[in-house]
Amino acid sequence: MTVVVNTRDDFTLANFQRVSYGEEPVRIGAGAHRSMTAGARQGPAVGSPGKETVRQAPWATRGADFGGGYLDPAAVRGILFARLASLVPGHTGARPIVAERVAALLDGPMPRVPLDGQVSAGEALPMAHVLAGLRRDDLHEGEEEALLGGSPCSAALAADAAISARYRLGCAEGVCALSIEGFGAPLTAYDEALDGLWGDPHETAALRGLRRYLDGAGTAERRFHQAPVSYRIIPRVLGQVHRAVAAVEKAATVSLRSVTSDVVYVSDELGRPAGRAVRSGGYLNGMAYPALNALSAAWADLALVAERQVTALNTAETSGLPVNLVAPGASGNGTYAYGWAANGYVEEARAAATPALLPGAVDDLHADVLSPTFSAYRRERRAAECLDGVLAILAIVSSQALFVTGRNPAGPLLPVLSFVRSVFPPIDGAGDRDLSADGGRLQQALGAAALSGQLAV
Amino acid sequence: MTVVVNSRDDFTLENYRRVATGGEAVAIGPEARTTMAEGRANFLRLLESDRTQFIYGVTSSFGPRAKLTIPPDQQRAHARAFGFRRGNWARGFGGGYLDERVVRGIVFARLANFVAGNSKARPVVAERLAALLDGPLPRVPLDGEVGAGEVLPMAHVMYGLPRGDLEEGEANPLMNGSPVSAALAADTALQAGHRLDHAEQIFALSVEAFGAPLDVYDDVLDGLWGDEDEASALAALRRHLAGASPGGRRPAVPASYRVLGRVLGQAHRAVTGAEEAARVSLRSVTDNPVYVPPDDGHPLGRAFSTGGFHNAMAYPALNALAAAWADLTLLAQRHVTALGAAAASAPPVPDSGSAAGAATGLEPVLSGLVEEARAAAMPTLLPAAVNDPQDDVSSPVFSAYRRQARAAECLDGALAVLAAKASQALLQAGRQPALPLQDLLADVRAIFPPVEGSPHDIGARGGDLAAALARSAVTGSAPFGASQ
Repeated sequence: MTVVVNTRDDFTLANFQRVSYGEEPVRIGAGAHRSMTAGARQGPAVGSPGKETVRQAPWATRGADFGGGYLDPAAVRGILFARLASLVPGHTGARPIVAERVAALLDGPMPRVPLDGQVSAGEALPMAHVLAGLRRDDLHEGEEEALLGGSPCSAALAADAAISARYRLGCAEGVCALSIEGFGAPLTAYDEALDGLWGDPHETAALRGLRRYLDGAGTAERRFHQAPVSYRIIPRVLGQVHRAVAAVEKAATVSLRSVTSDVVYVSDELGRPAGRAVRSGGYLNGMAYPALNALSAAWADLALVAERQVTALNTAETSGLPVNLVAPGASGNGTYAYGWAANGYVEEARAAATPALLPGAVDDLHADVLSPTFSAYRRERRAAECLDGVLAILAIVSSQALFVTGRNPAGPLLPVLSFVRSVFPPIDGAGDRDLSADGGRLQQALGAAALSGQLAV
Repeated sequence: MTVVVNSRDDFTLENYRRVATGGEAVAIGPEARTTMAEGRANFLRLLESDRTQFIYGVTSSFGPRAKLTIPPDQQRAHARAFGFRRGNWARGFGGGYLDERVVRGIVFARLANFVAGNSKARPVVAERLAALLDGPLPRVPLDGEVGAGEVLPMAHVMYGLPRGDLEEGEANPLMNGSPVSAALAADTALQAGHRLDHAEQIFALSVEAFGAPLDVYDDVLDGLWGDEDEASALAALRRHLAGASPGGRRPAVPASYRVLGRVLGQAHRAVTGAEEAARVSLRSVTDNPVYVPPDDGHPLGRAFSTGGFHNAMAYPALNALAAAWADLTLLAQRHVTALGAAAASAPPVPDSGSAAGAATGLEPVLSGLVEEARAAAMPTLLPAAVNDPQDDVSSPVFSAYRRQARAAECLDGALAVLAAKASQALLQAGRQPALPLQDLLADVRAIFPPVEGSPHDIGARGGDLAAALARSAVTGSAPFGASQ
């Protein structure tokens, strides 16, 4: 399939996903051709104020940044897609051939974009990498600014994070529900009456997500008194995550279709479609990095609550379950040491939740405010990775709690339990297992599920 | 005036403002009294149907001893003992105190649980609660208030409440739930809207002082960027800059002026987030246990344990606001630097009529304010400490509230410096700002006259500017005076 773009309305999160992860090509549609041709005819003629932009010899800067690993090729594809949003409405003055060349880059291998050194005024530094393969010897006036200016990287990074965040949240709800079943927590803490009493749509979504997994859960063998706080507040903490995911989805949705070029050409009083040049600070995306910061914090908080549930499950005095969840007749410390392992992930997640603010550095008197999106994106990745680690441990411990007591979870959780046990079978004391490697595989499987949306090996 | 509350819908941000900041009293309306009386009667029927069923705090002990059951004949005494014990269990100390307006707000927010009958309490309990607003309120220390839920600060707030005749199920709704988060979010949200408005005016004054080109705030960007918060920021800037002369503006402009609409848009988004958190939280029923009135499946209603006492939307909203203030503080510092650099490179204005230079003397203050604001923007996460195996997650809202307040204080300081700098630059250039900004400029100069020579009280006058901003954030008056 091919994604055809004609207007800004074609720059949706769904189309982003088709191009970035689905690896579909992009074609510039006839409508976009017409808009760009009209814009190019009059755009540069009114005089480009591009010389006043913060970009100085942008292509020459490519290669000055290095280290820190590289963006995933899917994210680079997403940046190329996002770049087109500023071009197709014709506001940049770029010709259709320029957009076609950008789209054609998606037909080949992606260039490597280093993660370090990408903090600057605007996003010209990473864009110079992204567009490294673009023919530019015949660019017209203003077209270089149109290619390098604006904030397509922020749009793409927000979109990339939004896609995995929604899936990761779904996985987290499944694992938390499995933990509720493993612990035998009372179900009233997730009662539908709370939807209206709390009155928050995100908490309602979290409550419904949990109830979906817990549908048909038995009421026998549950503790008669209230569960520890970490079990009762989980819908509210998951509600916070829903809120953060919705915010990053909104940031992505808005940013993908924004025209953020440093100079935009718009109709003037004479009705010429590109008769007036307007300078813009669109190159600083002010919504992506705060949304990513909030997501990192939400992952960190969820990781902490998951760790507390691991501790509750492992502690016989709290849970009423067998000590360390050791299987009958087995030796060893059961799942106890996983509780310790969870501590490291929690602390790393909390460190990653330090927000990316507007950078303190200044390039020069004109480039005096820089974009922190790359920093925020990397921290969100790290916080998410740590959450996957804690969720893997919570899944292991919950599975073990059910195993040692011979219980099954509610029906909708059986596929989740099956997934967990296909990667990490219960610790039954038989054979010699590398529990570290097995745990790592489950963390990786959860990470893969955050990209595919499927809890499957 | 008196705010009459009849249902949860009466717990609005505006009514909060009337009670907390406006000092108005609260009366429990007739509908609320009826609903509460019915709720109480239904709850007693549920309790009498089986006094051995688990109802947290009613038929059980509290906290880590929740699994201990209370014999039926001791349940009333248990309720009264709880109230007494908690009342003397206000343990936090140090770090200063909540402003009394916030304590008033907590009492108001507490009533949301009662009016719809979910608290299980008699109307008289709600009336006593509302009556607390008629007298001086207790001091609530800012340190030592992080625990599971909000019983620690609530123990301070409820200190003066008569509780010797509490009945079964009436102690918990006084102490449990999360009214403190609701009130702290509301207090912050009300100030934040004013503070953002003041920031937009002062940044607009800076735009005029620098002579930044106006097209970077053009209304065509509203649609091209396509974000309602950025559109609001751009619209506000254009409103303050209406009628500004397009002539004599600089052709080149630093990023800090170009990105203003987007950074202010971020602040709009954060303010909206705090307002939303306040609105939702104020009318939420967060009791633990909560009583749900009878329905077809439950003719006696239900009383069950929840996690409502943990408000998970207030502290992230306060975190976002602190970060937005920190970014604006940095932006203000960049503007002051740009104004200084522009003045240094500009030719002298022969007929300005003033011997004032470009410097106000306040500029060195900014670096410290920026760093302090950034430190305050470090997010408050769920606390690492664990009280006991049952109370294993605490509420961080007090920490988030304090950090937001500190970041706001730093922003006020930075805006004061920027206002003084913009005033100075305009004087030096012999220019007037756009008409909508002229009252603001006059107010700035009334407190901080343009600097000529080497006056000795620069710091004190700068502090006066910042203090005026802080006051006006609470009252909603004009930034530096009462001219609006």
